[in-house]
Amino acid sequence: MTRNDDMIEQILPLSLPVFHMLLSLTEGERHGYALKREIMQRTDKRVNLGSGALYGAINKMLEQGLIVESDERPDPHLDDERRRYYRITSLGRRVVQAEVARLRALVQLAEVHLGIPDPA
Amino acid sequence: MIDPTKLYRKLLKLYPASFREEYEAPMDRDFRDDQREAHSWNEHARLWIHALCDFAISAPRELVRELGQDLHFAVRVYRRRPLGAVLAISALALAIGVSTGVFSVASALLLRSLPFTDAGRLVELRLSPFSAMSGRAGFTAWRDHSTYLESAAAFSTSEMNLNSGRDALRVRVAETSANFFALLGARTNVGRTFAPEEDKPGQNHVALISHRLWQQSYGRDTAVLGTTLHLDGVALTIVGVAEPSFDYPGNVDIWIPTVFDFETIPKRGAFLFQTIGRLQPGISMTQARQQFEAEARHVSPDSFRSGDHEGPELVGFRDQITSQVRQSVLILSAVVLLVLLTACANVAQLLLSRTAERQQELALRTALGASRSRLVQQLTIEATALTLTGSTLGLIVAFFVCQIASAVLPAQLMTQDYTLLDWRVLCFAITLALLVGGIFGVMPAWLIGRLQPSTQLARVHSGASEPATQRLRSILVGLQVALTLTLVVSSLTLGSAFLHLLGTDLGFRPANVITLNVSLQGTRYQKGSAEWQYYSSVLDRLRSLPGVESAGAVNYLPLTNNMLMAGTIKVDSGQQVQTVVLNGAMPGYFKTMGTGIVAGREFAMAEGNAPEPPVIVNEAFARQSGLGASIVGRRIIAPWTPRPYLVSGVVATARMAGPEYDGSPQAYWPVEEEPPPALTFVAKVHGDSSKYMAICRDAVAGLDRSVPVYEVKTLDQRLSETLGRPKFYTTSVLFLGCLALLLAVIGVYGTSSRAITQREHELGVRMALGASARRVRLMILRESFVPVGMGVVAGVGGAVMSGPLLQHLFVGAKALSVQTCIMASILLLVTAMIAAWYATARILAIDPINAIRAE
Repeated sequence: MTRNDDMIEQILPLSLPVFHMLLSLTEGERHGYALKREIMQRTDKRVNLGSGALYGAINKMLEQGLIVESDERPDPHLDDERRRYYRITSLGRRVVQAEVARLRALVQLAEVHLGIPDPA
Repeated sequence: MIDPTKLYRKLLKLYPASFREEYEAPMDRDFRDDQREAHSWNEHARLWIHALCDFAISAPRELVRELGQDLHFAVRVYRRRPLGAVLAISALALAIGVSTGVFSVASALLLRSLPFTDAGRLVELRLSPFSAMSGRAGFTAWRDHSTYLESAAAFSTSEMNLNSGRDALRVRVAETSANFFALLGARTNVGRTFAPEEDKPGQNHVALISHRLWQQSYGRDTAVLGTTLHLDGVALTIVGVAEPSFDYPGNVDIWIPTVFDFETIPKRGAFLFQTIGRLQPGISMTQARQQFEAEARHVSPDSFRSGDHEGPELVGFRDQITSQVRQSVLILSAVVLLVLLTACANVAQLLLSRTAERQQELALRTALGASRSRLVQQLTIEATALTLTGSTLGLIVAFFVCQIASAVLPAQLMTQDYTLLDWRVLCFAITLALLVGGIFGVMPAWLIGRLQPSTQLARVHSGASEPATQRLRSILVGLQVALTLTLVVSSLTLGSAFLHLLGTDLGFRPANVITLNVSLQGTRYQKGSAEWQYYSSVLDRLRSLPGVESAGAVNYLPLTNNMLMAGTIKVDSGQQVQTVVLNGAMPGYFKTMGTGIVAGREFAMAEGNAPEPPVIVNEAFARQSGLGASIVGRRIIAPWTPRPYLVSGVVATARMAGPEYDGSPQAYWPVEEEPPPALTFVAKVHGDSSKYMAICRDAVAGLDRSVPVYEVKTLDQRLSETLGRPKFYTTSVLFLGCLALLLAVIGVYGTSSRAITQREHELGVRMALGASARRVRLMILRESFVPVGMGVVAGVGGAVMSGPLLQHLFVGAKALSVQTCIMASILLLVTAMIAAWYATARILAIDPINAIRAE
């Protein structure tokens, strides 16, 4: 196991908001507010992040090196105000993949125990 | 109407500085966006509820996270220069610890509620107008007709022999009137209190026992009710067990309703009882006091002689119970407060220096975009970490202070034990820590507030000093020196008084002497007039023990709190000697005690019943009789019999109450003539006396198990108990004085050292322009000395003002002298000079070339 794998192990499991945020960021750069709106839409408004929780999570992800700030530029969709954009790092990408693998293994285990047939 | 956006912005201010700096703007914008999309009232309400919930969860989380980071950084900062941090933490720990410890004593004595119903209305009537001799009927009549008392009770305390089946015990007993418990509102744990008629002779063979005695001697057995115990041989039935917290009037194990009964429990000597009462509802303490004094004046006008401090007095219960230690505790609190202030001044110095030293770092961080609030937060956390560590360690110090105080200044009542686990004490400690941390947090913050990045960077570079900070530091040093001088003068004054006490000739030599008490009250020896036989056997036994050099016995041993009997004695020369302490001794007593025999000889066995029995007097007696040593062979007449006694010897004067008090005239009768019910035996042993304590006790107790052998102690132990208070005050003030001195030295060193760091560049230029290093050093020394000198002047003033207080701490402590003041001032000035001299040594290493180059 490499040092990076160790680090990923320590970060997992991801909280639901962080998982969603990283997932959104895999599709491209986003600013905070956009992340919040996207997650709301994606979860049918079930995950509605408050600003404190949102930026708290962003701050932590920045510290862990899962994301980086890209630059500050106007948001073409909303208004002309300048906003700070974030980009996922390669570590971030691997973390989210590892989380998906972890979840998959969990689901498979549950299926075996509950006797749910494989959809395929 | 309040603008919701503004309200939200205010809410954002509650996030920690760093987080706010990064995310305040986007959060504000996001909120505005959300608000734009909310159209109905309903949506607005939902938005606010959501925002508030989010805030309630995320703000504390971010705060904890950031505090953790700041704390981590603070530890790193302190680790870089650990000495200063260690000194500051120790200073704070000691100061906060000692303050908290002393406060716990003050709180227990002066603030904690007393275990009585409506204790504010309870009073003690000193020298009450009611005479003991008028008995129960007289007392009841007086009480019932009182205009200012709702009720009154009487009690007296003494020690008695308790026989309840097993080995005999010596216990403290309160003889009371029947309404004693009812008056105080005290209840029993098991059983009942006294019935109203139970203080009548014939009906009073009942007793209440303390919870402690019930636990220790009866194993908490409720079957104890109705059983019989014997007090001084008198059979009494146990009717109740007092509540665990009740031991009034202090350390009592048994209460019996016999205060008015002179037959059941015989009362020897001058029987004194105390009167307590509960004020009538609606009567103030002042009114009651006036009415009581008027009554007392009417009944016995003599007791109001002018200048007599011992006149009738009505005292509130709290004052009565704490009168012994109240003043001492207040004085100690004041001293401790001084040290706390000194320690605070010191920590303030440290933090100021640290902030000043880090000015460049802080200015750089400001220039790089760190907000002021971010730096303020960091400095506040650093200060708080320091104080919190100091306070936590302080609690350990406080614990020990409580332990020492309980041993030396015990409270009268069980419920007044000194503890840290009291909400007042904990609040005090926390408030103190917060206050100190807050002040030190605010001060650097205030400095930062004055920090302008551009000018500051320039200033650091140019090396110019900051006048305001420098002035503040000088004031702190002056304050510190003043407080320290006051303390050093107090320490020297108390120390010399204590040394004087230690060097005092006691009239006996306490080394290697074992003392033990026996009491024959209520035993078969007293009933059969066989006391002398028992006492002689004890003496024989002690003398036959291997290692015992000599043994003797005495009625009243020095250094015990006995009520002494005194009377006037006539000498055949016609002289009268007033207030002579009347004592009894057995052969060998003076030899064992190491009391010098100035003339004549000691008692021998079997001479107590001679036609002209011998008597021994002390030097004070001989001097007052006008005969001196030639009194040997003269006859004296005692107050109780016309039969003359022959003076057979003169012994050195023993200081009965300890080295603080002069010895009074004393006359010793042979115990054999009329053996008292209790005696103290003394035995001089070879070598380590503590090893012989158990041997001596067992030897005496083995003679008869029904006779209690108690207070087995070495004479040295008794002496150190007597000197406990002076020793405690002296060592504590001395300790605090040394601590303050150390703190002041650190303060002076810090100031001088800082002055050089700040002005290194300027000094270099001066030297480059021709000033010698020596001259520059003298200049800095001179500047450092201005605050020290001013502090010394203020300190002498403080010492003069606080001097008279010291006399209250213990007898023998004198007010301060001019020599002490001068000595302390010199001590302080020299110490400060040495500190400043070392601090300025660095000047010699300044290279003028560097200064010019920087220019």
